[in-house]
Amino acid sequence: MQLIDHSNNSKSKTVGRALAAATCALLGVHATGSLAKGQPGEWDVETALLVYSETDDRVQAAEPVISATRNFDGERKLNLKLVADTLTGASPSGATPSALPQTYTSPSGNGSYEIAPGEAPLDDTFKDTRVAVSANWEAPINRDYAYSVGAYGSKEYDYLSTAVNASLSRYLNNKNTTLTGGLSLGVDLVDPVGGAPVGLSRMPLNNNKSQADFDQEFAATRDSDDTKTMVDALFGVTQVINRQTLMQFNYGISYSSGYLTDPYKILSVIDDASGSNYGGNLVGGDGNPVYLYEQRPDTRLKHSLYWQTKYMLGNGDVMDGSYRFMIDDWGITSHTLDLKYRWQLGKSYLEPHFRYYLQSEADFYKRYLTASEYNSGAPVMTDASADYRLGEMTGLTFGAKWGYRFDDDRELAIRAEYLIQTNDGDQGFGSLASQDLYPDTNAMWLQLSYSF
Amino acid sequence: MNTITVSAKDNPAGHPLPQLRGGQLSWQGRFEAMASPCEILLDGVNRRDAEQALAFAARETWRLERTFSRYVSGNPVDRINRGKGEPVTVDDEMALMLDYAAQCHDLSDGRFDITSGVLRRAWRFDGSSHLPEQEETDALLDLVGWDKLSWQRPQLILPEGMEIDFGGIGKEYAVDRVLLDLKQSLPEGSSVLVNFGGDLACSGPRTSGKAWIVGVEDHQKLSGRSGTLSLYCGALATSGDSRRYLLKNGVRYSHILDPRTGWPVPDAPHSVTVAAPTCTLAGMLATFAMLEGAEAEHFLEQQDVQFWVQR
Repeated sequence: MQLIDHSNNSKSKTVGRALAAATCALLGVHATGSLAKGQPGEWDVETALLVYSETDDRVQAAEPVISATRNFDGERKLNLKLVADTLTGASPSGATPSALPQTYTSPSGNGSYEIAPGEAPLDDTFKDTRVAVSANWEAPINRDYAYSVGAYGSKEYDYLSTAVNASLSRYLNNKNTTLTGGLSLGVDLVDPVGGAPVGLSRMPLNNNKSQADFDQEFAATRDSDDTKTMVDALFGVTQVINRQTLMQFNYGISYSSGYLTDPYKILSVIDDASGSNYGGNLVGGDGNPVYLYEQRPDTRLKHSLYWQTKYMLGNGDVMDGSYRFMIDDWGITSHTLDLKYRWQLGKSYLEPHFRYYLQSEADFYKRYLTASEYNSGAPVMTDASADYRLGEMTGLTFGAKWGYRFDDDRELAIRAEYLIQTNDGDQGFGSLASQDLYPDTNAMWLQLSYSF
Repeated sequence: MNTITVSAKDNPAGHPLPQLRGGQLSWQGRFEAMASPCEILLDGVNRRDAEQALAFAARETWRLERTFSRYVSGNPVDRINRGKGEPVTVDDEMALMLDYAAQCHDLSDGRFDITSGVLRRAWRFDGSSHLPEQEETDALLDLVGWDKLSWQRPQLILPEGMEIDFGGIGKEYAVDRVLLDLKQSLPEGSSVLVNFGGDLACSGPRTSGKAWIVGVEDHQKLSGRSGTLSLYCGALATSGDSRRYLLKNGVRYSHILDPRTGWPVPDAPHSVTVAAPTCTLAGMLATFAMLEGAEAEHFLEQQDVQFWVQR
C-alpha cells in the first residue's frame, strides 16, 4: 500500500508542476516564486551583534540581539525580541581631576579606588550584564483602525525595568494618512550596589578612621532600594505625500517620577577660600577631600517633537532625514538632526549616515560645587549633578551601513559608526583651571546583522 | 465617483460603463463582465493613469468575454461549435487556449474536458431531486471527449454535435491577462489588484507594503475573519458553488461532472480555493481538486500551495 501511495503522491506533484508550466506558456510569463518575506505563516528572524567601544579604556559593550516576527495573515503580527548586553569598563564618576592623587570609596562600601593626578576620575567598578525581553502584537480592528499592545522587561544586577504599552491607529484617505496615539506605562526598581546613597550626602572615606567608624558613616548615607515610574504618551501623524515621499510628525510627552538619580555619580567640592588650596578639593574635618553623592529632582516632564521625511528617488535610492526637538523641566533642550542616504547598488546597498546632536545643560548641572555652596554640609541647593550626560554637549556621528540581499528573505548587513562627543561649561578657578574638566568622548561601534 | 467613457464598439454587450472612485493615489474601479462584478484596485497612480487603466481593463475584459463566450454568435467559439465537422482555422490567442485545454485534459487523465458542456443538457443543478436517466447521459457521452476532436495548430476539427466551452478557464485567464497588461503599462512603484467575482490576482503588496484586503462574501471560512482576505502577492481562485447541486435519497450530487462517466464526481467538495502565482493556475488547481472528489485535499497537499476546502 505504501508503495502505491508514494507513486500517487509523486504523480500528483508532477501534475501540478506540468500544469504550472502549461499555465506559464498560456500567459507568456515565467514562473515566479510566490513566497516572500512578510508572507503569512512564516517567522522572519533578525539577528545582530553590536560591539561598542569608547576610547581611553572606557565603556566597552557587546550586545547580541535576536528578534523574530511571526506574520499571521499579512496584518496581524507578533514580534518577540531578546537582547543581552555586557558592559565593562569605566565611566566618569562626576568628580573633577586634581593635581593630587584622589581616593574614592567604591559604591559597595567594601573598598576604594585611586585616581592619579590629572586623570579623569572614572569608576572602574562599572560592569553589568543586562537581559531584556519584549513582545509586541499588532492587528487591525477593521479597515480603518489598527491596534498594538506590548510588554517589556529587563533585568540587570541592580536594576529591574518593566513596561507595558498600547497604541491605536486610525487610517484616513485610503490609508494615505495614519493617526496614531500610544501610551506606555513603566515601573523600574532600582537596587544599587551597597544601597542608594542619600542625595548630596558626603561620600565616606576610610582614611584616618577605624573600620567601625567608617561603617557607621557609610550606613548613615544609605537609603533602601527605590522605584521609578514613567508614563509616556505619543501622538503621531504619518502622511503619504506622493508616490516618492512619506512624512511623519510625532509629539511625545513623558513623565517620570521617583528615584531619577544616578546612585554611582558624585560631585567634587572645590575650595573657593583664598589660599594655597584655592581651586583644590575642599578638605573636610576628617582630613579627607569632600565628595558628595549627586541628587536629581524626583520628577521629570519631557516634551518632544519629531519630524521625519523619507524620499525615494526614481533610481530606487532613498533619502531619509529627521529632526527631533526635546525640552524638559530640568532645563535641558536638545536638537537632533539625522540624515541618511541609501544607494541601491544592485543586490547590495550602501547607506552613509550623519547625526548632529546639541544639548543644553540641566538647571542643576554643576561640574563641581564650591565650598560656599557646600556650606559645611548644609548645601545651598537641593539638587546637583556633575553627570556629563546632563551638561552642555555636542555630538557628531559619522557612519555607514552596507547591506547585501541574497534574496527576498535573507539580508546581511554591517554598520560602522564613529561618535565624537564634546562637553563644555564652567572652566573652574585656581588650580582647577589647569585641569581638563571636559574630556571628549570618542566611541565607535560595529554592528553585524543577518535577517532571514 | 466618476464614470469612464468606453466607446460602444469596445462594449459590444452593452454593459454599464465602468465607475472609478477613490482619491490621492488609491483607486477602485468597477465594471461588469462574464456575469461577475469586476474590480480593479490601484495604488500609487494618479487620476489620469487610473482612468486609463480602468478603461483599458474594461475594454480588454469585454473583448475576452466576447472572444471566449459560447453565447456570442459569430465569435471564434461559435464558429468552432458550428463547424459541422469541417476544419476551422483559429488565431494565435485561441490556439494557445486550445493547447492549454489539451494539456489540462492530458494532465487530469481526461477529467478536465472543454467538450463536457453538452452534459448540461441532461443535468440541471437546481437543488431538486431530479436525476437524469442513465441512457440519457450515456447518449450524451458520445458527444464528449477531447480525444474525439482533431487539433492540429492552427486547425481544429470538431465532430458535429460536439461543443467546446471555456467556462472553466476564461474568467481566471482574463484576470491574469488584464493584470499582466496593467503591470506593463502602469508606472513603476505602483501596485494593482484585479478581482473578477472573487477570482483575483495582484502585482505585489500595496505601495504601503501592506497586504490587499479583499472582501470575499462566499468564503467566510477562509481567513477566520468574516468576509475579508489579505493577499500579499500572487492570485486566488475558487472552484465550486455550493448552491448548484441535486439532492436525492440523502445523496448530494455536485455540479462537477466527470466527462468519463457523465455523472457528478462523488464526494466533491462544496468549494475549493487555491492560492498560486497566477489566477489561471490557481483556478485550474482548484478545478483539478474538485475533480479528485474525496481526494481533493490530498491532491492539493502535494502541490505546495495554500488552499481552503469547504465540504
